[in-house]
Amino acid sequence: MDAQKVDMFIMSNGKFFESHQVAQIRDRLLHLDEAKWPLVQSLQFKDPTISLIISLLGGSLGIDRFFIGDTGLGVGKLLTCGGLGIWAIVDWFLIMDATREKNMEKLQRILY
Amino acid sequence: MQSGRNKLYFFLLLFCLAGYIWFYTGYRSFPESGDRARIGCLIKHTTNVPCPSCGATRSAISLIKGDFAGSLYWNPIGILLVCMGVIIPIWISYDKIFRKDSLYLFYRKAEVFLRRKAVALPAILLIIINWIWNIYKGL
Repeated sequence: MDAQKVDMFIMSNGKFFESHQVAQIRDRLLHLDEAKWPLVQSLQFKDPTISLIISLLGGSLGIDRFFIGDTGLGVGKLLTCGGLGIWAIVDWFLIMDATREKNMEKLQRILY
Repeated sequence: MQSGRNKLYFFLLLFCLAGYIWFYTGYRSFPESGDRARIGCLIKHTTNVPCPSCGATRSAISLIKGDFAGSLYWNPIGILLVCMGVIIPIWISYDKIFRKDSLYLFYRKAEVFLRRKAVALPAILLIIINWIWNIYKGL
């Protein structure tokens, strides 16, 4: 794919991924078929900052996990008062990385 | 898939273990101190309003003592948690012994099932009704 397009994608979406994944994504996109570009461009990623805000406000109800698409863990969190309050606090620190991980999974479904 | 499965099983077992310890300590202190005095629910301790699953410990303890009606009164979620606490370790050991992924596959299917609007909306409604009931009971 055209390097300019790939750089544009990285510039606008780089914050949604782990920093160590960005180089790998760029490399992979450069070798991707041009026909897949509209598909890649139309992907919607979850913002890690938004998920952190949701985690701070509604972490005890598991809303942060539902937001990033982890329905199973969300239900677990909801049914146990946010894992007795401990899991809710632990998630304040983990949710941003979990969001980036989920974004990567979403992109990988198209890349591979 | 292998690492995802192992991660999930490890997490579920850890969660069950934490649950057992929690229920055991709650069982010993119930009903003199109850679980009101313990730190367990961020919502309850910050706003003084019970959360949707407040009362689950008392419900599970009532169930273990054989008082089904009492457990239903405290919080029906407690019954669900007790069932999960019993079934999950057995299911994981079955998978480990027979080298299968049945629980992991079930978990993935359940996630997709729960995301369907026709299932998610009634479930949310049920949780909210239960929550209102909790506030009404003043847990």
